[in-house]
Amino acid sequence: MAILNITYQGYSADVPIELERTISDADVRRIAVELVRSGGVPGLQLANLPADAFTHYVVDRFDGDHGPRLFLRPKVPFGA
Amino acid sequence: MSGRVVICGVGALGSTAAVLLRNVEADLVFIDFDRVESKNLAAQAFTKVALGKNKAEALRLQLANFWGKKCEAFPVRLGPDNVEVLLAGATLVIDAFDNQASRLLLSAHAQAHGVPLVHAAMSADGSYGLVRWEERFVADAEDTPGQATCEGGEHLPFIGVIAAHLARVVQDHLRSGQRRDVQISLSSALLL
Repeated sequence: MAILNITYQGYSADVPIELERTISDADVRRIAVELVRSGGVPGLQLANLPADAFTHYVVDRFDGDHGPRLFLRPKVPFGA
Repeated sequence: MSGRVVICGVGALGSTAAVLLRNVEADLVFIDFDRVESKNLAAQAFTKVALGKNKAEALRLQLANFWGKKCEAFPVRLGPDNVEVLLAGATLVIDAFDNQASRLLLSAHAQAHGVPLVHAAMSADGSYGLVRWEERFVADAEDTPGQATCEGGEHLPFIGVIAAHLARVVQDHLRSGQRRDVQISLSSALLL
């Protein structure tokens, strides 16, 4: 079991996902689109979410206390 | 809480965090080659009298005049030729730059010298930001070259939120050595 955190348009939520193997960043983006469309992400239900909504998003992968933690997030190029 | 904290890039996040770090005992050092323009006043911690001045120098003057905090300023562009000199003696480096190349330069220096480095960054649409230590940070490129930034002032409150988290993360590190990451979205703050 992994926890995928999805951030979209200022909203952020965790959703557990079953992973039988290591999945690519493209897979993560595709899964996230389906989860958001289906209402599987708390606070984030967009039935008409475009398939390319997460094209420019970054997938961060960390080891969490209870399994892998994945973060699908917008790019953050700005600071100054 | 002593030491030498170098803030690289004192635009939106860097200047706001610097103001919130005015009570640390550590010496603060600012690096930025850019000058304060009128459009910066909407999203950065500069006042009207700073217009036209170098950002690092303007921030040094503001902290000295408003709060009596003495800082150092380097009004130069940090690059491969001067990174060793500018970051010499740093006990903590803060990355608040606005471009991938400069962030990568800081990462390389921090890894080579074992200097703690914390990054602060936000998305172009002002809906997401993070504060993350070097060991878990990846420097992102812009989605498209020349992408609009946070200059208009629309994102000022969110810039303040990210900068406040950055300042607290730095305070915690100076006090206890803790290295806490923070991810912030517009609707919530998720502490990691």
